[in-house]
Amino acid sequence: MKTYFTKIEGKSSGFYILLGILGVLAAAGLYSAYLMFAKGHYLTGMNNHVPWGLPIIITIYLIGLSAGSLVLSSLSSVFGKTEYKGFSRIAVYLAALLLVGALLSLGLDLGRPERIMLAFFYLNPQSIFSWNGFLYSSYILICIVYLWAMFKEKEKLVKIIGTLAVVWAVGVHSGTGGIFGFTSGRELYHSPLTPPSFVAAALSSGTGLTIILLVLTFKATRRFLDPQLIVGLSRLLVSFILVVLYFLAVENLTRIYSPASSEATHFLLFSGNVYCLIFWVGLIFIGSIVPAIILFIKKSVSWIVFSSALVVFGVLCERFIIVIPGQVLPSELFPGYEVSSPFMDGAMGSYFISPLEIIQAVGVLAIVGLLYILGLKFFAFLPEKK
Amino acid sequence: MDRRTFLKIGAGVVATTAMGPLPQLVSCLHAKDTKASAKNKWGMVIDVAKCVEGCSVCMDACRKENNVSASNYWIRLATIKPKVPNAKPQPIPLLCNHCDDPFCVKVCLVKASFKRKDGIVLIDEHRCIGCRYCMIVCPYKSRSFVFKHYEETTNPDSPKRQHGVVEKCDFCVSRIDKGLMPACVEACPNKAMAFGNLNDPNSEVAKLIATGKAQRIRPDLGSKPKVYYLGL
Repeated sequence: MKTYFTKIEGKSSGFYILLGILGVLAAAGLYSAYLMFAKGHYLTGMNNHVPWGLPIIITIYLIGLSAGSLVLSSLSSVFGKTEYKGFSRIAVYLAALLLVGALLSLGLDLGRPERIMLAFFYLNPQSIFSWNGFLYSSYILICIVYLWAMFKEKEKLVKIIGTLAVVWAVGVHSGTGGIFGFTSGRELYHSPLTPPSFVAAALSSGTGLTIILLVLTFKATRRFLDPQLIVGLSRLLVSFILVVLYFLAVENLTRIYSPASSEATHFLLFSGNVYCLIFWVGLIFIGSIVPAIILFIKKSVSWIVFSSALVVFGVLCERFIIVIPGQVLPSELFPGYEVSSPFMDGAMGSYFISPLEIIQAVGVLAIVGLLYILGLKFFAFLPEKK
Repeated sequence: MDRRTFLKIGAGVVATTAMGPLPQLVSCLHAKDTKASAKNKWGMVIDVAKCVEGCSVCMDACRKENNVSASNYWIRLATIKPKVPNAKPQPIPLLCNHCDDPFCVKVCLVKASFKRKDGIVLIDEHRCIGCRYCMIVCPYKSRSFVFKHYEETTNPDSPKRQHGVVEKCDFCVSRIDKGLMPACVEACPNKAMAFGNLNDPNSEVAKLIATGKAQRIRPDLGSKPKVYYLGL
């Protein structure tokens, strides 16, 4: 059975209203990025004790989200599940877009965004961050070639590039995890498990987002979506959730068992602060257990979309937990001593997200959304209406 | 707009963005000629017993020399107290350890952080893109980010601190190249700090280290710090 693809008309008032709203949000986001660039990062909530904030959280979140779309496209092109072929083009496009959004968020967070091209001129082979710059940009390129091969109906090339893209995605997510895992001076960052658990979280949040966007897009463009396909994806989603939970359990049990890191783990999990709340309520309960139970019991599309939204929210909490508490906790310069100084040595750092950072983050998401709906209008991404 | 025009405009935007930083890039290519010699390996030994609680002479001298803003610290006087009853608090100056195997240099994605031949770890502020990964990995918290453009110049020979880059102690590299001591070492009224060539066995620092009593902060992390402490 051959699948035919078409563009959307993109002439309805709904389309233009959406375009307008996203455009305004995007402009606001870029303006706040400009303010940070022109006046300095004191406008953000970041400080010398917590130098990484919301933009980094959004960056690793968007990188992770792009994984799910790639899984979806590989189902048909690599694993031969032809019933998913109708989703394959839009999925690859989405994977590339989310990566573009991630790079945008990362670029706008730089103190000197105008120097970003230097990262391509001075590669440092010892820096995982430098490797990631290469991995991210080549991943976007692979997605573009992948799309091109799909448009030209080159079945064999699609299969080869699809396989390469899956391998590359593992590299992209492991490398992103490595940024944190390779940091030996911070107890909550340093872990060999970070790269694989990033792959797992990427798969679960990415699959969740893909389910939501597919259902919304097909509904908005009045296309028929076989519920069985969504149920199939939801089975994948529930297994990804369980893998994420498994990694979290292994990592934290190992940390809390070892006396050297048990204090830091207590701080994260049991000290009753806002991070414990985000971990237990946001990530574990709302973001993992509740959607896993719903997905086991309910098989209707609306319940699946609802639990997907919970998973997408849960992984946002996970990203927050990865980035912030590890910085808030002071590094132990003098074990066995109390330390104090005017530069807050030995004291807990604090980070409050500033409104400007939120506007910028929303702006980045709006730009991704804008490119998504414009893509639907200019390229034949969606299967023909039946 | 058809697909072709859309692609053309897209390619134009990408190309223009890529060209933007080109002039800056060219000027950066010549940034790293230094007067360093591999014969020297600069290091510091600080006798904390001579250090006085509440004194801020080293911090003030550093700010004045390097035009550092009040929110950032290239050197800071911390107080440590053992977690036992009736322990005495001990003041201790903390600064960049100029590690021999520095994490910050390892992770810098544009090689803006680098180690000179004489072991001084520097930041090329014209190359730093301000990603702050070095601040994340430095276990000694030696680095500060310039959050706000700092106009005040107490020392016209030292550059103004532009916002958007990371800064830290450079052992007063321009003074060392003139044969002078770092500002903090010179300013200390109690002569608590000694600075010199670790490679030269006759230097004051080498002799103090040879006593076997000098300790470094968290050498277990493996970055081989070059700031030593006596009396800890």
